[in-house]
Amino acid sequence: MKVVVSRLADFPPGERRIVKAGARSIGVFRVEDEFFAIRNRCPHQGGPLCQGRLSPWAVASGPGQVRMEGPPRLVACPWHGWEYDLETGQSFMGPGETRVKAYEVAVERGDRLGEDARPGDARAPVPAAARAAGREPGPYVAETFSVYVEEDYVVVDV
Amino acid sequence: MTPDAAAARPRDAIDCDLHCAPASMDVLLPYLDDYWRSYIDDATIRLGDLSYPAGAATSGGPAPAAYEDLAPLLDRDATRAAVLSCVVLDGVHRNPHYAAAVATAINDWLRDAWLARDPRLRAGIVVSTLDVPSAVQEIERLADDPRFVQVLLPVRSDVPYGNRLYHPLYAAAERNGLRIALHAWGRAGAAPSTTGIAPTYLEDYLSNVHIAEVQLLSLVAEGVFATFPELAVVFAECGFTWLPSLLWRFDKDWKGVWREVPWVSDRPSAVVRRHVRLTTAPAQLPRSPTEVAEVLEMVGPEMLLYASDAPHDHGTSGGALLRDLGAAGVEAILRGNAEAFYRRSVA
Repeated sequence: MKVVVSRLADFPPGERRIVKAGARSIGVFRVEDEFFAIRNRCPHQGGPLCQGRLSPWAVASGPGQVRMEGPPRLVACPWHGWEYDLETGQSFMGPGETRVKAYEVAVERGDRLGEDARPGDARAPVPAAARAAGREPGPYVAETFSVYVEEDYVVVDV
Repeated sequence: MTPDAAAARPRDAIDCDLHCAPASMDVLLPYLDDYWRSYIDDATIRLGDLSYPAGAATSGGPAPAAYEDLAPLLDRDATRAAVLSCVVLDGVHRNPHYAAAVATAINDWLRDAWLARDPRLRAGIVVSTLDVPSAVQEIERLADDPRFVQVLLPVRSDVPYGNRLYHPLYAAAERNGLRIALHAWGRAGAAPSTTGIAPTYLEDYLSNVHIAEVQLLSLVAEGVFATFPELAVVFAECGFTWLPSLLWRFDKDWKGVWREVPWVSDRPSAVVRRHVRLTTAPAQLPRSPTEVAEVLEMVGPEMLLYASDAPHDHGTSGGALLRDLGAAGVEAILRGNAEAFYRRSVA
């Protein structure tokens, strides 16, 4: 099922839209010129994940020696602050713990509106920034969806 | 010491916290120069164990003042090795120069009066936390003596132990293969927390637990173990049953606010399990063997180093600890954990 989220012109970088897709609530994010879609339900305790703030990775070479790395692609659940990578839905809350489901999001041209999107790999490799921060994927993975820009429209495939 | 507590002493153990103390300041005077002898005389400074008043049930009598007082106990229990903790430095004084001089005197006395007398004995290096550079100097002065296996610090400090102020001390310990022991008490006369002075001994005695908790949080959160990956710390005489609930909460809240401490790249509980141990006395355990087993499973027997803590008398829970643990757990706590923990040979 494809859900039209917004006109592209009405969806500037740094913004987000929360849309209904049947019973599901899905957050669509524009980070610079990339689109991501992730289920608006924290796998931890069901909090409204997509209402949370976005941040880049914070990477430390030692106490007090911190730099931000990469675009702001980590969304923090407003309930407990647990963060998930927008692209993969992956959390980094400690190895051996629970996963959250993520969905692939893409931007597609309008003339491809009728085509099916390829599902993304929810177990994508650990981002370089996460590796730099010394963090291992945790068990929680938020569900992610494909997002496309089709001509003038942002579309999510659920 | 109550008869039960004495009878609970296990045989052939590595005792990681055994006390000794000079009978009086006179014993230390030969190890001090004439300026400090005069200072001590002018100020009428006495050595006294403010943490264990002579009449309190917890004190268990005076700490052995001479090797001859201790040897019969080591022989009776067939003690394999014992790490001496001499905690008389931390009185009410705040003079860093005095503290450094007396720390050196105590260490030299430990060498002459104890370590030279019995190959089973080890000791913690006594240092002043009022002057970190002098503490580093004292560590380096004694680093070549393998009988010193750790650096002894009072768990009560003026600034939490994760602070960068102390990092040179940790660097010296790590460089020389010495462990850090944070021992109950210290800073006599100071409030056990920022809420204020404890008006009773009872409150002050119990406060060692929450002070240890604060120090553990500080060491992890301020990145001491990220900076010094080979460093390890033992909490001595601070109890251990408080550990599971603290670590559960530490992990939980780190997940939400890790950005404040991004150098803590692993769960705090995992960091603690790699770098921290606790001595078995006092063992603040429930009565029921089932409940004791549950506590030990949550703490993890691998976290515990046996300590008689003699002469202090915290009751008979230490016996319950060993009674309700399987043979492998007993072996680990009495010997194996200590052998693995110390980088210098203890036995």
